[in-house]
Amino acid sequence: MTPVAAIADEELAARAAAGDAGAFEALVGRHEARVYRLAYRLTGSDADARDVLQDAFLAAYRGLAAFRGAARFSTWLYRITTNAALMHRRARRRRPTESLEEYLPRFDENGQHSPEAAELGAASRADDLLDEKLLAEQARAALEKLPDLYREAFVLRDLEELDTSEVAGLLGVDAATVRQRVHRARLMLRGYLSHLVGART
Amino acid sequence: MPNLTCRDGVEMLMDYLEGTLGSPEREAIEAHVTGCPRCVAFIESYERTPRILRAATAEALPADLALSLRRFLAERLASGDA
Repeated sequence: MTPVAAIADEELAARAAAGDAGAFEALVGRHEARVYRLAYRLTGSDADARDVLQDAFLAAYRGLAAFRGAARFSTWLYRITTNAALMHRRARRRRPTESLEEYLPRFDENGQHSPEAAELGAASRADDLLDEKLLAEQARAALEKLPDLYREAFVLRDLEELDTSEVAGLLGVDAATVRQRVHRARLMLRGYLSHLVGART
Repeated sequence: MPNLTCRDGVEMLMDYLEGTLGSPEREAIEAHVTGCPRCVAFIESYERTPRILRAATAEALPADLALSLRRFLAERLASGDA
């Protein structure tokens, strides 16, 4: 008999859809840590990530019959998790937060970077200058301030490190749209980190 | 391609890094950046931003959660709720 560890996700999903509880358990064990991490990045808290984790696996179980292996199982599960996180955020109706627009790069009338070069590179020292706990708090706060569409694209592409084309398929938009959203998110977050570090130097 | 400004380069930066630009645009960016220390510093911080945030948000699964997730799923699946 093939050990479970050697069976592809898609085959386990087919077995689970046919009523094999052990196959579903194996899928949960294989993906729970990544789903939790993704949910935490999308919602910003442990409590919310726990709810999303439960919702996502329940929705995956319910949707097994509809999963036909058209996508990779992991991509399909990420889509379910991303949707669950968005529903969760909406249900909570978070108070509007400060925008990160003000942290976009600035240019002078000739289109040249306006600040000094030293400031332009400041964000790249954030992990040296901020203590680990503070940086983790600030990173979560910064993600919270992004518009939902940018947060999803940035988290999937840059934090979970999916390919741009995989993110595009998952979000149902084209690759150019993903690149545009990720780029805007990077620009805002870069400026925000610079501002954090700049305030401490 | 005419000479680029920093702003032009920043607009195309993600496409440049993902390799989706044509060679005239790519070469124009490279020619600009070679003579622009501000852009060099900007690009370094642009590229490091995702890495810093990735490391700062890499939450591990809490020890109690694996068990509580299984309890939750077992209850919901047993109740026919699924």
